[in-house]
Amino acid sequence: MMPLVGAEFRKLFTTRLWLWMLLVSAAWAAGYCALAIAFDTGKSGLMPPLSGAAGQHALFAIGPGGAGPLAAVLAAIGVTGELRHRTAAMTFLATPRRGRVFGAKLVTYLLAGGGLALASILVSLMVVLPGLTAKGIPISLAENGNLTVLAAVIASAGIFGIAGAGLGALAGGQLATVAGMLMYLYVAEPLISHITGLHEWTAYLPGVAADGLTQATQPGVPLLTPWLAGVVFACWAAAFAAAGTLRTVRRDITL
Amino acid sequence: MSVLSWASDCTPGRKERQAVMDEAGRIVASGLTKRFGAVTAVDDLSFAAGPGMVTGFLGPNGAGKTTTLRMLLGLVAPDAGTATIHGRRYAALPEPSRVVGAVLEASGFHPARSGRDHLRVYCTACGYPLRRADQVLEIVGLAGAGHRKVRGYSLGMRQRLALATALLGDPPVLMLDEPANGLDPEGIAWLRDLLRGHAVSGHTVLFSSHALPEVEQLADQVVIIYRGRLAGQGTLAELAGDSAAVSVRTPHTDQLIIALAAAGACSERTGPESVRVTGMPAAEISRIARLQNIDLHELGTDRSRLEQIFLRLTSRPAGQEPAAERTRSDQA
Repeated sequence: MMPLVGAEFRKLFTTRLWLWMLLVSAAWAAGYCALAIAFDTGKSGLMPPLSGAAGQHALFAIGPGGAGPLAAVLAAIGVTGELRHRTAAMTFLATPRRGRVFGAKLVTYLLAGGGLALASILVSLMVVLPGLTAKGIPISLAENGNLTVLAAVIASAGIFGIAGAGLGALAGGQLATVAGMLMYLYVAEPLISHITGLHEWTAYLPGVAADGLTQATQPGVPLLTPWLAGVVFACWAAAFAAAGTLRTVRRDITL
Repeated sequence: MSVLSWASDCTPGRKERQAVMDEAGRIVASGLTKRFGAVTAVDDLSFAAGPGMVTGFLGPNGAGKTTTLRMLLGLVAPDAGTATIHGRRYAALPEPSRVVGAVLEASGFHPARSGRDHLRVYCTACGYPLRRADQVLEIVGLAGAGHRKVRGYSLGMRQRLALATALLGDPPVLMLDEPANGLDPEGIAWLRDLLRGHAVSGHTVLFSSHALPEVEQLADQVVIIYRGRLAGQGTLAELAGDSAAVSVRTPHTDQLIIALAAAGACSERTGPESVRVTGMPAAEISRIARLQNIDLHELGTDRSRLEQIFLRLTSRPAGQEPAAERTRSDQA
């Protein structure tokens, strides 16, 4: 299994896509944190004040937390790229046990997602620590449960990686997978999750569960507790991964 | 569907197929069938390719060659029949890349990855040292282009890179789908030497082509496929049967024509030193010439006839098409 994971990482790092994803993720993390700090009034507004635990959680969950969907996009592009660029045949000739190949991809994008989140966290800390200190707001990673949130951000991005790989293998088409995922996460799900009558079960939707894991609170959207949300989100990812594995194993590679 | 399965049950040769014992270096297709929707791409196809020779897999475009090769390589699941290499299904080979090297038509590369990095990916997956990538680049003549992104490769360079990938595990069995596509004459000559050398060292080569001259140049034996079915298998001379003509070059044309006529063959002079003989195999011509002390400078299958063999084996009188294909053309 290790050689296969190594081969997948080699695929990942021999094109520039990972670098672009890293840049976008880091830019989002730094930009969001800078704006949030600049517009923090110290009072409860659209977002809770950054002097409190809730405000700091939201800052980390939404800033470096942006790595999550990007990890899913990275994984989906990587997995569907094998069909798009017709390298799937060579990959399965080298390793005919397709389940193992796909397993290696899942491990790779779990780790890649976690790595992307970790890098984004480091970038955001470079903005947050001096930014809040300059405003006279004391912040410590060890306090307010901040470390737990950062760990949840890393876990969430890893799970996003698995979900993206699974959906990519299931759908097959590169553009369709990426566009579909982004449309769902940023258009469909926010619409559904704001319908009050559906709140009993909207917290179990994959994207809302991911928010629950990191406690990326949105006003008016109820979340599960972090642990339960994490389990629910992981179950979604596992289901996508299982479906993607089946599709990969059964697919005729005609191109 | 039922008509088809009935037809394949009645196809002779099932026992022969059973008798084809798998052994080292042998590629064996047995009763392979693949349908894509209503279209039967490959229909009860059985053939074998053995070590020590180059086997050409010949058929017009759309005959089912690529689907067959992909079934042999475990990329496409057959609806019926088995495909084995070394006596095992491809997926059941312990280290497949050390046994089989495959070049598939339209197989691709990530355009933004360099040729060398592409090879290194598969070195890692198969557990070969990374320097093997540079070795195979050298073998296929791409050593100078390995660092360049595949986006900038010509079709011929991509073919060479695909071949380099196939050679990573130094496999005894080579399977190539339309390998000469995109190669210039120099490239084809190089490919011929490579495949020939592989076969001469006791290994197996199976390559597909729709172009008869290519197969003539490269293959020792030919498997001809037409509309997914086996149309013929054997050496070109065997396939030609009695209708084959043999071209002979000799300074003693008159003596040869008389001697062969006495043995029942029909000969005609085609040049000052060349004779075209029909109705007698090359071996017999050689024997008679030796008995009569006639020098032979050249003895070979008359090339102009091969085209006719191919056309004869791949043409089918109207009305004898399988039901599935009639349906397809009706729909079209």
